[in-house]
Formats: sequence, structure tokens, C-alpha cells
Amino acid sequence: MKLPKLLGLLAATSIFAASPLRAQDIRIGANLPMSGPNAEYGEQFAGAAAIAVEHANADKMLSKKLVLLIEDSQATPQQGVVAMNKLVNVDKVPYVLSAFTGVSKAIAPVGDKAHVVSINGGGVSPDLAELGDYFWNVIPLVNFEVQAFAPYLIKERGWKKVALIYVDDPAGEAVKKELEIHVPKNGGSLVTALQVPRASQQFSGIAAKVRESQPDVVFIASFGAQQAQIIKQLRDNGVKQQIASYSAFSIPAVLQLPEAKGALFPTQSINWAADALSQRLASDWKAKKGKEPNAYTANYYNAVMVFVKLAQALEKAGLPITGENLLKQRLRSASFDVAGGRMVFLPNGTVSMPLQLNEVDNGTTKVVKANLAPN
Amino acid sequence: MWAYLNNLAVLITINAILAVTLNFVLGYAGIFSMAHAAFFGIGAYTAALVAIKLGGGFLLATAAGMSVAGLLSLALALPALRVRGEYFVAASLGLQMLALTLFSEWKAVTGGIGGITNIPPARFPGFEISSPPQYLVLSLVCLALVMWGVSRLVNSSFGRSLKAIRDDETAASAAGKNVAVVKTMAVVVSSALAAVAGSLYAFFLSFINVESFTLDTSVYLMAMVIIGGTATLWGPVVGTVLILLLPAVLSFLPGLPQTEVGSIQQIVYGLAMVLLMIYRPGGLWAAKSKAGA
Amino acid sequence: MLLLQLLVNGLQLGAIYGLTAVGFALIFGSTKVFHVAHGASFTLAGYLFWWGMTALKWHWLASVALAVVAVVLFGLFMERFIYRPIQRHEGAFFTVFIAAFGMQIVVQNLVGTMFGRGFETVSAELSRSVEIAPNLFVAPIAAVAIAVGLVFYFGLNLFLARTQVGTGLRALSDNPDLVRIFGLEPTRLAQVAFALGSALVVPAAALTAVSQGINPGMGSHIMLISLAATIVGGIGSLKGAAMGGMLLGLAESVAVWKLDPQWSEAVTFVVLFVFIIFRPAGFLGRAQNAK
Repeated sequence: MKLPKLLGLLAATSIFAASPLRAQDIRIGANLPMSGPNAEYGEQFAGAAAIAVEHANADKMLSKKLVLLIEDSQATPQQGVVAMNKLVNVDKVPYVLSAFTGVSKAIAPVGDKAHVVSINGGGVSPDLAELGDYFWNVIPLVNFEVQAFAPYLIKERGWKKVALIYVDDPAGEAVKKELEIHVPKNGGSLVTALQVPRASQQFSGIAAKVRESQPDVVFIASFGAQQAQIIKQLRDNGVKQQIASYSAFSIPAVLQLPEAKGALFPTQSINWAADALSQRLASDWKAKKGKEPNAYTANYYNAVMVFVKLAQALEKAGLPITGENLLKQRLRSASFDVAGGRMVFLPNGTVSMPLQLNEVDNGTTKVVKANLAPN
Repeated sequence: MWAYLNNLAVLITINAILAVTLNFVLGYAGIFSMAHAAFFGIGAYTAALVAIKLGGGFLLATAAGMSVAGLLSLALALPALRVRGEYFVAASLGLQMLALTLFSEWKAVTGGIGGITNIPPARFPGFEISSPPQYLVLSLVCLALVMWGVSRLVNSSFGRSLKAIRDDETAASAAGKNVAVVKTMAVVVSSALAAVAGSLYAFFLSFINVESFTLDTSVYLMAMVIIGGTATLWGPVVGTVLILLLPAVLSFLPGLPQTEVGSIQQIVYGLAMVLLMIYRPGGLWAAKSKAGA
Repeated sequence: MLLLQLLVNGLQLGAIYGLTAVGFALIFGSTKVFHVAHGASFTLAGYLFWWGMTALKWHWLASVALAVVAVVLFGLFMERFIYRPIQRHEGAFFTVFIAAFGMQIVVQNLVGTMFGRGFETVSAELSRSVEIAPNLFVAPIAAVAIAVGLVFYFGLNLFLARTQVGTGLRALSDNPDLVRIFGLEPTRLAQVAFALGSALVVPAAALTAVSQGINPGMGSHIMLISLAATIVGGIGSLKGAAMGGMLLGLAESVAVWKLDPQWSEAVTFVVLFVFIIFRPAGFLGRAQNAK
């Protein structure tokens, strides 16, 4: 086919294939890693959000059908920006679920400029609190986690020397910064901090250096499949010390790894039996996935539910559902009854919630301390 | 919808600048550089930093990017051009990987994976480029200038020397051409112009990070040049349009799982590269031009 | 002691790199084809071995055999259907390189689509290390890797020196016409080179699957290293490629002794760059000047 004709055909197909603006749906977006090494997280997050959408539609909570448009961020900032542009400029959604610190930091300016709300339920860097009015977080950020965890590790268990392995990514660096503050504050010392590239899989050299530093506990700040690699190679290479991490450990790749047994990590404290809402989510999740729900399940369910409740209020007031109005509504009424209990938004768009301490145990976790609080 | 097409058009234009400049060394000079994405990145980071730290406008930022990229390309060209084809490929590969490590790890300057965010819009004395249609105009102007510059160079005696060297280096050298100087200049020019694309990219997206400047990108650019047609002025542009429209078309096709679009896109252009090399090594556009460029 | 530990780790890594580099050097040395799809062979071998072990649950020998068959078929396919047609037309280095690169991309993505894009490992007791000296942990797999590397390397050299086909391969790189005079067919020899060179990646890929894990992108990574090793060792020399691979493995491992871990990959490329600038012929290569 002659080139100009081919180009014309391509252009025509692109225009006509664009989704027509259907007045009968309410659409929100999700910018999650659906492929790549972190797809496991995306699958969980999207699954939880989908259940929320199902519940919202089944209970007819909004005047029209709620539709969730999922774009693949691949957990990389650049892909996230491309996906965000599509959601904001083509699909014109007022509200986007986000995940991963690096991605969130990249897409926040896009949402901010377009007055579209982004809400994060997975990334934990404290920087996520500084991304503007249109960026909200329903997960307690890692500074809370480390603040509460450090005293437990150092004072309660007596592990004073901490070795850190962290991924070279905003999330890993945030954990390093927090440990640098809180470990000495509690009387411990950070004996070594080793940075690893995101794509790295070879950790025998790292293991050797960790052994050399003779720590009492090894803190891993990474995410996704790499965590399992690090744990396995540490154990394979003679590192016998206690392993600790932050909430990113709550994925099957880590929980099912035999070498991860006994590892400690905090997460939000969720009481699944607390009320009917939480129980419904827990049983639907178990039915669909065959596994126990975890904090991420609650967070992404709640992220959607926050939208639904805000949109309900806007509909009642006769206001259009735009990012601006959603923000204003949230500032008016900041507390929500969601899965796990009552969640209150602070003015800067973050939430504070109780934490619990978990231990990896044969494919699942057991709660070691139900209320992990800083000092 | 128009916003999306507008964005796509700007990206196509920026990549076309990269493809045209890569073609300058690859197609006309026969120099096989896998490091083009590194110079794209150097241009982008420099421009972003000039804009953020020094409050520079577009012209200053771009000029800075061009200078830095041009200077650093000297570092690659001078030693590496003494060696044969295969070695230069390996050297440029090495340079690309080194640049990649630097972009990822020199966080104070590049922000690593977190990148540089909130880059201010492109400023000119008197006005600011802030909306996507304005960026499209700016990019098209830059593309036109770059193409004009490249075509003037190609049709000058410098260009003739380049082609002579590409076709037979020994003969060109015997005819009195200073092979090393000519090749070095070609590399410097191409890298400096690649930095223009980098500057446009940084201002347009207002966010850059290492992921845009990887080996994959260099290969992507190479695919555009090869598929479109080496040693022709418009060939690389054609290649760019085709390769960039591909994911857009694929993502609108019903039934294709979203998660596989990236893979399928890469498979398509991988296959295109293979098939073209067997059946039409000159690229798609070469069939059109009669006498070659 | 840390340095000793890192050296031992480096030997294991070096054996893997060396095997792959020797395969590449064999192909390039005999046929002059810049077979950058060699990385794709590595990916295929690794994934098929992993698939045989974990999904089909075969014995490791059967999984290895599966990988060998696939990889040899792939190498032969590339030679017959991609490189030979190109060389018939014009065979510029450039054209071959791009075609191989394109194939690399296709294989990487097909593997990703079929097997997933995450990291996979084959669990084995072999990867668990034992403290053989105070603070010196060595896993059996290190010994296996080094032994396998040595066996294959010397086996290959014996083959090249003692058999008719082997001699033919060595002659092919110098003078294809001479080869015909002795009654050997260059085309057939090229096929042997591709088959043999590709098969050499199988032990390396299997060892990688057990020790550090595999992912679809590893093909291009290992290709870069094989390329670097071949140049560092000297194009045209198998011994050089093996040495180059060993050197790069050691360099990457030992780099962690003094540098932060994230710079260890850059070390490979610095070594490559230094060699290209100061000694393009590599350790053992025949000095080849700019053309």
C-alpha cells in the first residue's frame, strides 16, 4: 500500500476507534503495574478496586454505572506518565488510582495541572505527602512505619546493629533516610547501607558485604520479585541474621519463599471482622483469589470507596463530578467509614492509621504485635 | 482526543529529529552508533537543569545541551574512530551503558529513577510555550531547521567526503581526505543536534528520567532509521511515524490484551528489522528515491 | 576475607560469561557473522531449562537436552534463513547486525509473553553455600560452574584440533576456498559452527537459572558481556574470549569490594572501553586496524 494512504488509514482508524463519550457511565482510572516484574502488586490492587466497583454498582450507590479504566504503568515513572496522559486527556477521568512512589511522583504534576485527583494505596515514601493538593494517600507512609518499627527492633528485641539493602529508587531512598534518623535515635547503629539497582538479580557480593558488617538484623527496602531474590541469596550465602522490611513484603512471592520464614514487617492494622463492610470485602476477596486479604486489598478498595462516597455527596448537591469538586468535598468531610474501620484524612491528603507487626510463616503471615506504635 | 493526537505528534516530531540526526552518522557516514539515546539524554538533563537552576529560557537551555552533548561526543569519537566497524559498535554500546549507569546513579544531578520533575515551560524573551499545540509548532520548527541543516551538510563537500568515506575508507584516505577529522565532526554534529530533541522533550513532558534514555531507546531509534530508509532525508521521518503510530494503533485494536501491547509492538518492529534486512536493506523509503541521496 | 569471597564469586560468574563468550567467538571466528542473536539463544536455553524443571518436572538432564535441542535449532534457523540470504545479497556487517538484533528483540518479547516478565529461578540445593573457611562461603554450584566451564572449553579445543570438522572450522575463518579444496563444504561447516556455538550457552544458562535467576531481558545483558569479552580477549581467539569472560566476571564481582554495588555493572563497560581505546586487539587477538 502506498505510504501516504497507509498513514491516512492509520490516522482515520485512531480517530474513529476512540471510545465515544458515553453519558451513562461514571468513569475513574487506575494507573497500575499490570505487566513486568511488579505485576503481582498491580493484580492485587486492581482486584481490590474491581471488588469495590462491583459493590458500588450492586448497591446502586451512584446514579450511573461506575466503570474503572485500567492503564498499565509497569511500575516505571515513564510508562506511568504515558498512562496518566491517556487517562487524563483521552478518557478524561476525574480520579485515578496510583501506586509506587516513583510513578506517583512523576504523574502527580500531570494530575495537578489538570485538576485530576490521584490517590495512592501502595507507595510509602514520605515525599508522597508533598505532591500537591490533588495527590492523596490512603496508606500510612513509611516514616510512620519506620518510626514505629525501629524501637521494636532495637529496644524490644535488642538488635542494635542494622544492615540495610535498599533499591535505588525513591522508595528505597526514603526508607534509608528514615532509618538514618530513627535507628540512632533508638540507640542502634546503621552499620552498612548497600544500594542495588532495580533490575539487579545478583546479590552474592552484597551478601558478602553484609556478612562482613556483622549486623544483628538485615533490613531490606526493595519491592516486588527482587525482594524474594535478595532474601534467597542472602540465606544461600550464609547470612543467618533476622530479616526485616516494610509493608512491601506482603506479596505471595515473598510470603511463599521458604527462606523468608520468620521475617518481620509492619503493615496497617486491619480488623477484617470489625464490621459488615470489612467482612464482605474479606469474603469476596477470598472467594475470588483463594487467599486471605491483606492491607493492600483494603487500601485499594477504600481508594475507590472514597471516590464513591465523595461522588455521592456531590450528586446530592447537584454538583458535577470533577477533580476540583472532589477535593473540595474531601476538605469538607474528611472522615470515611471504610474497610478496616474509620479513616480520617489529614489536610495534607494523608491518613494516619494503626500499624501491626507481622511475621512470615509458610505462605502467610501471623500477627506478632497487634498494635505497633512509636514509643 | 485531539489532545492525545497532539501529544503523539509532538513525540513523533521529537523522535524524527533523533532519527534524522542518527541517520546523518549511520546512513551517510556509515558510523554505527548505539549511543544516540545517551546524547538525547545529555541534552535533556542539561536543558532541564539550566531551566530549573539558572532560570534559563529555551534557547539558552538548548544551546547548553548542544554544547555539553557535542563536547562529550568528542570523548567518544576521538579514540573510538581509530578502530574498525565492529569495535566502534562495541565502544558506542559501552558508552551508552556507562551513560545509563551515570544517569541512574548520579542522583544529585539526574534524580536517578525518580528523575527531574516540575521542569518549567519553555520560555522565550517575551512569551512562554505552555500549551501542547504551541509545543507542536516549536517542535516542527526545530525539526525543519534540523532537516535543513542536515541536508545542507549532506550536499556540501563535507557531505561528499562523508559518503566517500562510508563507501570506501581506504580510497577516501588515499584521495587526501582526513578521515578521522571528518568522522569526528559528523559524530559531534549529530550528537549536538540530538540534544535539541532532548531539550524539547524535557520542556514538553516537564518530567524526565533515565528510562527514556536506555539502550532500548537507542535500538528503537536505529529501527526508525533502518525501517524508514538510511541515507535519505525523509526516510527516517517515515520510519519514525510508522514506529510511533504502531503502539497507538495496537492499543486501539479490540481484543488485544493491554498488557501485551508493548511486547507485540516490539515483536512487530523486530520482525520488520529482520525482514527488511533480508529483502530491502535500504529501508522502505529507499524504494521511492531514484538515485539515493 | 571479603576479597577472597568476592574472587570466588567472580570465578563462578566468569565461568558463565566465558562459556557464552566462547560460543559467540566460535561463531564469529568461523563464519564472520556478528551473531548478536546469541543472547536470544541464552534466553531460550534458560527458559526452556527452567520450564522443563518446574513446569514439566523433568529430570535436569532431560531439561538440559530440551534446551540444547531448542538452541541448536534456533542457531541453525538463524544461519539458514536469516544470515545466509543476507550474505547472498550483500552481507554488509551492518545488515547482519540489525537482522540479528531484530531477532533478539522478537525472541525476548515472545519469551516474555509466553513465560511472564518476572524473575524465575530453579530451586536447587546446589545454590546453598557452605562455609568452607572462616567467612568464606562457597556454593557447590560455583564448583560446578567452574568445572563445567573447564570441561567444555577443553573439550571444544580438542574437537577443533583433532577432528576433521574441527580443523575445517578453524580453516574456515582464514580461507573458505581452501576448505573446499579439502573436500569440506563451507556451508555445512557454518552450520556446525552455529550449532556448536549456540549449544555452548546451555550450561551457562542452566547455571544462571539455578544461581541468580532468569528474566526475558537477560539475553541482551549477556550479549553485551559476550561482546565485551570477545573484544577484550581479542576477536578471533577462543582462548581470548574465555579469558575475557573470566576477567569481566571477576571485575564485576570484585568491584563491590571498594565501589558501591550499583556501579559494578559499569565496571564491565569501563574495562571494555579501556581495551578498545588502548588495545583494540585485546589480549590475544590478531591486530586488526581501522579499515
